[in-house]
Amino acid sequence: MSESYKIIDHNYDVVVMGAGGAGLRATLGTVEAGLKTACITKVFPTRSHTVAAQGGIGASLGNMSEDHWQWHMYDTVKGSDWLGDQDAIEYMCRNAVPAVHELEHYGMPFSRTEDGKIYQRPFGGHTRDHGKAPVERACAAADRTGHAMLHTLYQQCLKHKAEFFVEYIALDLIMDDDGSCKGLMAWDLDTGELHRFNAKMVILASGGYGRAFFSCTSAHTCTGDGHGMVARAGLGLQDMEFVQFHPTGIYGSGCLITEGARGEGGYLTNSEGERFMERYAPTVKDLASRDVVSRGMAQEIRDGRGVGEHGEYIHLHLEHLGSEVLWERLPGITETAKIFAGVDATKEPIPVLPTVHYNMGGIPTNYKGEVLRPTAKDPNAIVPGLMAAGEAACVSVHGANRLGTNSLLDLVVFGRACGMHAAEVVDAKASFKELKATDGEEAVERFDRLRWAKGSRPTADIRLEMQRVMQGNCGVFRTSEILKEGKDKLSETAKTLPDVGVSDRSLIWNSDLVETLELENLMTCAAATMNSAEARHESRGAHAHEDHPKRDDETWMKHTIATVDTEKGYGVDLTYRPVNNFTLTDEVSYIEPKERVY
Amino acid sequence: MKMQSDLGRVRGLGSAKSGSSHWWTQRVTAAANLPLGIWFIVSILAGHTADYDAVQAWLGSYFHSTMMILMIVSVAVHFTHGLQVVIEDYVHNRKVEMISLMLIKAVAAFLSVAAIISVLRIVFAGA
Amino acid sequence: MVEFNLPANSVVKEGKTFSAPADAKNVRAFKIYRFDPDSGDNPRTDTYDIDLDKCGPMVLDALIKIKNEIDATLTFRRSCREGICGSCAMNIDGRNTLACLKPIDDIKGEVKIYPLPHMPVVKDLVPDLSQPYAQLASIEPWLKADSPNPPDGERLQSREERAKLDGLWECILCFSCSTACPSYWWNSDRYLGPAVLLQAYRWLADSRDEYTGERLDALEDPFRLYRCHTIMNCTNTCPKGLNPALAITEIKKMIAERRA
Repeated sequence: MSESYKIIDHNYDVVVMGAGGAGLRATLGTVEAGLKTACITKVFPTRSHTVAAQGGIGASLGNMSEDHWQWHMYDTVKGSDWLGDQDAIEYMCRNAVPAVHELEHYGMPFSRTEDGKIYQRPFGGHTRDHGKAPVERACAAADRTGHAMLHTLYQQCLKHKAEFFVEYIALDLIMDDDGSCKGLMAWDLDTGELHRFNAKMVILASGGYGRAFFSCTSAHTCTGDGHGMVARAGLGLQDMEFVQFHPTGIYGSGCLITEGARGEGGYLTNSEGERFMERYAPTVKDLASRDVVSRGMAQEIRDGRGVGEHGEYIHLHLEHLGSEVLWERLPGITETAKIFAGVDATKEPIPVLPTVHYNMGGIPTNYKGEVLRPTAKDPNAIVPGLMAAGEAACVSVHGANRLGTNSLLDLVVFGRACGMHAAEVVDAKASFKELKATDGEEAVERFDRLRWAKGSRPTADIRLEMQRVMQGNCGVFRTSEILKEGKDKLSETAKTLPDVGVSDRSLIWNSDLVETLELENLMTCAAATMNSAEARHESRGAHAHEDHPKRDDETWMKHTIATVDTEKGYGVDLTYRPVNNFTLTDEVSYIEPKERVY
Repeated sequence: MKMQSDLGRVRGLGSAKSGSSHWWTQRVTAAANLPLGIWFIVSILAGHTADYDAVQAWLGSYFHSTMMILMIVSVAVHFTHGLQVVIEDYVHNRKVEMISLMLIKAVAAFLSVAAIISVLRIVFAGA
Repeated sequence: MVEFNLPANSVVKEGKTFSAPADAKNVRAFKIYRFDPDSGDNPRTDTYDIDLDKCGPMVLDALIKIKNEIDATLTFRRSCREGICGSCAMNIDGRNTLACLKPIDDIKGEVKIYPLPHMPVVKDLVPDLSQPYAQLASIEPWLKADSPNPPDGERLQSREERAKLDGLWECILCFSCSTACPSYWWNSDRYLGPAVLLQAYRWLADSRDEYTGERLDALEDPFRLYRCHTIMNCTNTCPKGLNPALAITEIKKMIAERRA
């Protein structure tokens, strides 16, 4: 090492990494349970990407029309193309109603119905009575539900005097010889100091990795940091091939237009002005599941029916809803369309394109939030001392395709579950494990190596190359050839990582170094995604493989586990673990796989 | 070196639980100054202040002398309140601030009382 | 006394210039405030000539282009790039706003970019916002009610009651408004500033909150609240089109209303 660093030690019962919806809910839970908790986050909590969620949070409140959690569960299982674990899905849908009521009791400013209850709107894939018709299930705060939720959770954390470490970059986990996790290393951007957190429990709530792709709705900070840390600790990542394309990202900028826009009555047309979704999903049309709509749009564009000079996008119509409805229920996207597409949505259609939006895959956990280290003998073996929640985790409730509104739900339900489980297993009175002098050393070495990296390729250069490969070779439609090529290209790019060059050497707010640390995390995610996708020879949910257009339950009803060799060239080792084909209770029975039509 | 927590610093000495009456008085006197000011300007334009005799005749009336005293009080209060805000805004040395505040209040009190006595002298001189 | 001039170590010097490639046709100069906490040098302004034909439409796109292609040491906060996270608030062309929502074309001539005014600068365009964050915490921005929550449902709120929160809860805490307020510049140690007062009013206006009186007690202070002199810079600059000045006036009205 070229420099010795002063390291500040801390002892906490629980360390939560990330202060988005899941991280804040987990923090709240552990603080309420009397555990000494540190929430470390690389951005101020209300800047986390949960803030950008728009349409709503799914829960069968039945405020607008009849609804039941069992229907919600059915839709989620079907949406997941049967790859979701049904015990976890039952847990989520069952707890959705109390979770939303809890948010309301916290003060979340939901929109209201005439009788003063929480307003709900229809959303893609959410149906009445097992697919009969769309149902109003998305509990909404106008079209800024994530903003309302994130701020509310932060307020509750303030109320409970939670301790935050803001603008701290988590570097790596500290693992014990017995395979358990005992803390993490972090870097304080403000002072430039390194911190070592000794923790009885680490909860990863670090969000997704949309930025592995060139065009995405995700924030610049969605760089799969938790994924990278887990992979460097030698643990596997699950179902990484399943990347959701949101049907309505604004053409060009990639900014999100909520599915709630279609929930409120918006629809898509091609260059002939045809409402083409009627062909792809005769029953629910524009409110089919996201993978279905995205594929429909991509197909129209391919068949030469795209809108625009080069036929490269699709039109989203909202103008028929009238400006009053738009300004009341969809004010945010009406503004966004104006700013980023230059379009007055009250008068003309918005140009949209399927855009990378969400990662169904992630750190494998069970429904309690415990991180799994699946082995051939025990596919459900856990990593003691380590939990994960939110987009970073793969519980798996979303399987091969997530339904809109289920991500906000996932955050609060499993953030809460993590808090509850931590309260159960962590003993606040027990003494801390003694850390060895060498604990965290590898993280510091990595930090130091990248800080002084003098290679020829700037971080942004390698990142752009990686993003272009992912965009071009791991998109909406995939073929064996495209994926194989992508795998090779990505491997070439990954091999240039040791040649990265960083130009800022400072310890204080060195954002060049931050982006380089993030790039390693992104590369880990990209490698896992590309390799997992290349191996899966079937089409399921968001993974549409043209050489294998059918779902193959016989061979592929299983979760991919990708272990990335972050030391050498980002090679990926793939194993598989069975999908949980059971429910949590007897109140609902396992939903048998069947063909998925909307 | 400041090592106090941000929250502790921000909470400081707590709320003074006052300020509304200052704010309200300033608005009330501002509103009062408007008709009083118009009355005053009109009076000057009408030639009531041409010489001592004219003034004596003018302020000899109950109405005009009452208006004059009201205006002196209202302007003085408005002036001290306004100047107080300016001093609080810009003077951050606590000692200088306190002395300035006392000074403007004293000056305003002295000037307004002197003005009122002058009015009364004029009024009663004619009686 | 209030300081009207910058202290000697804060005086901004002229920095480096990075020229655009020779073949660039549509060039615009970006003059950006730089401060390196390690060097101890005075802040400077570096000039970057950018080919707008090869750059996205927003100021944030230009900043990212500079960081990616010209000078990786340039430091600024950014995240969502769609105006909802509030990270990239800065002073652009003399006005506080979000870089991600500010079209370059809106600016004539040289694009001048500075950090949010009158905050301590950590590095380049990154200000230290711990003061406004602590002020936010000090107003206890959470629902306070003694009536028990309904066991199996939500607290009811009519649409009219809920509509009172519109224009308040959408605040993204970017603090463009507070740092545009001269009164906040002079007295940020005691004045809460427009952003935090808007949040305070968000809870005063919420029909579900039962602590209106206590909240008003805590606000009634010559400095915390009444340092607002209705200058209106807050409302003028808010990148989300909110009206903090109106919210502050509403608080003053509420306090006036409860007086004898």
